[in-house]
Amino acid sequence: MSAPTTRERPSVNTTVLRTGLRRGRTEYLQFARDRRELLTGPVGAVVMLVALVGWQGHGTVPGTGASKAVLMTARFVAYCVFSAALMNLALGITADREEGALLRLRALPGGMTAYLVGRTVSVLGQIATYVVLMLAAGLAFTELTLPTAPGDWLTLAWVLALGTLSVAPIGAALGAVVRDARNAAAALSLAMMGLMVISGVLFPITALPQPAQWVAQAFPLYWQGLGLRSVFLPDSMLAAEIGGSWRLWEAAGVMSLWAVAGLLLAPWLLQRMTRRESGSRLAERRRHSAVRRAY
Amino acid sequence: MTDPAIRTRDLRMRYGRAEVLRGVDLDVPAGGVFALLGPNGAGKTTTIEILEGFRRRSSGEVAVLGADPDEGGAAWRARLGIVLQDWRDHPRWKVRQLLAHLAEFHPRPHDPDELLAALGLTEQAGKTIRDLSGGQRRRLDVALGLVGRPELLFLDEPTTGFDPRARREFHDLIERLAREDGMTILLTTHDLAEAERLADRIAILAGCRVAVTGTPRDLAAFARAGSRVRWTEDGAPREARTPDPSALVWELHRRFGGPVPGLEVHRPSLEESYLDLTRTADDTEPVKAAA
Repeated sequence: MSAPTTRERPSVNTTVLRTGLRRGRTEYLQFARDRRELLTGPVGAVVMLVALVGWQGHGTVPGTGASKAVLMTARFVAYCVFSAALMNLALGITADREEGALLRLRALPGGMTAYLVGRTVSVLGQIATYVVLMLAAGLAFTELTLPTAPGDWLTLAWVLALGTLSVAPIGAALGAVVRDARNAAAALSLAMMGLMVISGVLFPITALPQPAQWVAQAFPLYWQGLGLRSVFLPDSMLAAEIGGSWRLWEAAGVMSLWAVAGLLLAPWLLQRMTRRESGSRLAERRRHSAVRRAY
Repeated sequence: MTDPAIRTRDLRMRYGRAEVLRGVDLDVPAGGVFALLGPNGAGKTTTIEILEGFRRRSSGEVAVLGADPDEGGAAWRARLGIVLQDWRDHPRWKVRQLLAHLAEFHPRPHDPDELLAALGLTEQAGKTIRDLSGGQRRRLDVALGLVGRPELLFLDEPTTGFDPRARREFHDLIERLAREDGMTILLTTHDLAEAERLADRIAILAGCRVAVTGTPRDLAAFARAGSRVRWTEDGAPREARTPDPSALVWELHRRFGGPVPGLEVHRPSLEESYLDLTRTADDTEPVKAAA
């Protein structure tokens, strides 16, 4: 027997799209107006960046002549895009599932399409907020300058777009498979931290042992960071990069692979997840978590 | 005669080895309020979720608004209103904002403001949903279930956790909805008084199947069928169950040729019968109270 929702491919029409866009705007505004969310999110990240620049950001990266502070800014932008696309999306979807928002929308004609459009819009808004705030902080507190060559702007645009696209579907897929929001947050943070350490976000990747470099290069975070460094740092920085090159083709290749894999996997997982939801399953999970809290 | 809103035949549900529904037969006519009554764990929620298309049945025939819920598409779904037991979604949205948003999915929705007024939520329209009280949240859930003008509304244990006043107001609301909109309402409850008060027809779910079904009056007649007569004969207590205690007592009087020692006649209330039924459900064969 086929599942009830498989043939119910979300119908795409303009009304549903508009509803989804409005939904995304509402969700984004909820994010942008939530003080706690801002403090743990973009505002907190900016404060951390400024503090780190003040503490460690003087002088140049040894042997390169590139500004340490600008390097830090580029790394932070990469990390923020990555974490917003992965964490915020995954945790948002998990919460929507646990609270029943997905179940409610699933029961509406076009509801799943509108939901996904809405989530996409809100996560893109969040990422844009991170990037704009980070770059503004970089302009204000470091020697960072916005690119002047059109080619650099183009690189900035595609690196951000592809960087988001390579991670966001994975975030959605994770949101679909994890069982429990709180455990998921803990596990994800740990994984992110590990990836951050090895991906050249904290210190140059060439300072790491060879195996760690290989692992890092399998993930999109490293490539996005590399792409951003190519935009904001002088070519003298290449002395500290693998192979002494910006390797933009490779960056585009790896990120595209992740994007394609994610885009193939995520819709399938999301559909499977919503099919399994029902009211009593929601209640059951809530009972379990209530019991756990009691201990 | 219009088609029934819901019809099930020999509906069965198994989770692993446990059989939760053992052949449920339901006929819910279009229009009016139908109550699925039963103790906790009788399979009410499982039944309603199968009807809503949220859960796949193990076997049996099911038609909801003429369609199999497992095959029902978006157009079919749009004709249903679903109010789950415990919904906590969209906590950060405002009341009116969410109602207006969900209204957009329907071709001819209710006006959100009118609906809020009907449910007594006008004052809360601008409130954030997570700040609502339990009763307000519940009424919002009903508003969200109604906004698309459904033909069939599912209410799963709608008044659980309500204080008596909120419950009474909710009952008035359901009665008004059923009367004015000509909608079919299927509600589950474990509260007999609630079912009697609201429903045109009641099905009692016990022992994983429908034990009795009929109008509240049919059920009252069914309850009386189990009248108990006690007396003392040859120094020993005797007891008999009969649908016609008067006839038995007359016969006893004639047998004793006068007063019957230790005579007691007990006509059980509907509530007693219901409790009795749900206690011994596993031995009960399905009974049809309706003529």
